[in-house]
Amino acid sequence: MFEIKVEAPLDAFEVHTTENRGHTPEEVAELCVNRLISIGDNSHPALQAQARAFRDRMLAVVTQYIKMGIEQDRATISSELSKAGYQEIANQLRRL
Amino acid sequence: MAFTGNFMCTSFKQELLEGVHDFQSGGNTFKLALYDNNASFTAATTAYTATNEVGDSGTYSAGGGALTNVNPTTSSTTAFTDFDDLSFTSATITARGALIYNDTAVGDPSVVVLDFGSDKTATSGTFTIVFPTADASNAIIRIA
Repeated sequence: MFEIKVEAPLDAFEVHTTENRGHTPEEVAELCVNRLISIGDNSHPALQAQARAFRDRMLAVVTQYIKMGIEQDRATISSELSKAGYQEIANQLRRL
Repeated sequence: MAFTGNFMCTSFKQELLEGVHDFQSGGNTFKLALYDNNASFTAATTAYTATNEVGDSGTYSAGGGALTNVNPTTSSTTAFTDFDDLSFTSATITARGALIYNDTAVGDPSVVVLDFGSDKTATSGTFTIVFPTADASNAIIRIA
């Protein structure tokens, strides 16, 4: 009488890999924004254009804050290393 | 023996009606395990297996990584749930697919089989599985 359709759009997942490094802030920001904003292909073209402009702006903002987060984290770790007597490593980390 | 596509496990559908799975944040622990192309999962797959699972590397260890549940919610008449993206870092891994399973429930029952379509390789790097946007049209698991 009633049908519940359990669905999984399994083709929609993605796999991203890197070689000899982690993801860059730009790559992470892209992942983040893609999760936050989905632009439907069937939307009105004007709405699609507006959404893309918003997405691009969000990408820039998220990238900036990811970089800031990395810098702040490095500063904290560098400070801890410095306090523990590892000044050279602390300096190298700060220069990254 | 190889991956032959993406599947939602039939046993999972039954288990939903039996109340086996709790996708709430703080509910059951769901894990994602990676496999090489010798694995042969289908909709008939019922549980996690270590056979043909990729080896330990970096932050990846046997059994796979724990997924972070996002509380199920609704949009219009569709209910859906989601997981945060999952990354394994400092890893050298070649995987052809993955199995999501419930690590809390008895017998580690399977949820979905993911076929990457080709071998995906991370070399001393990061291996990230990105889930689709969590909405009524795209979320990884939806009940419409």
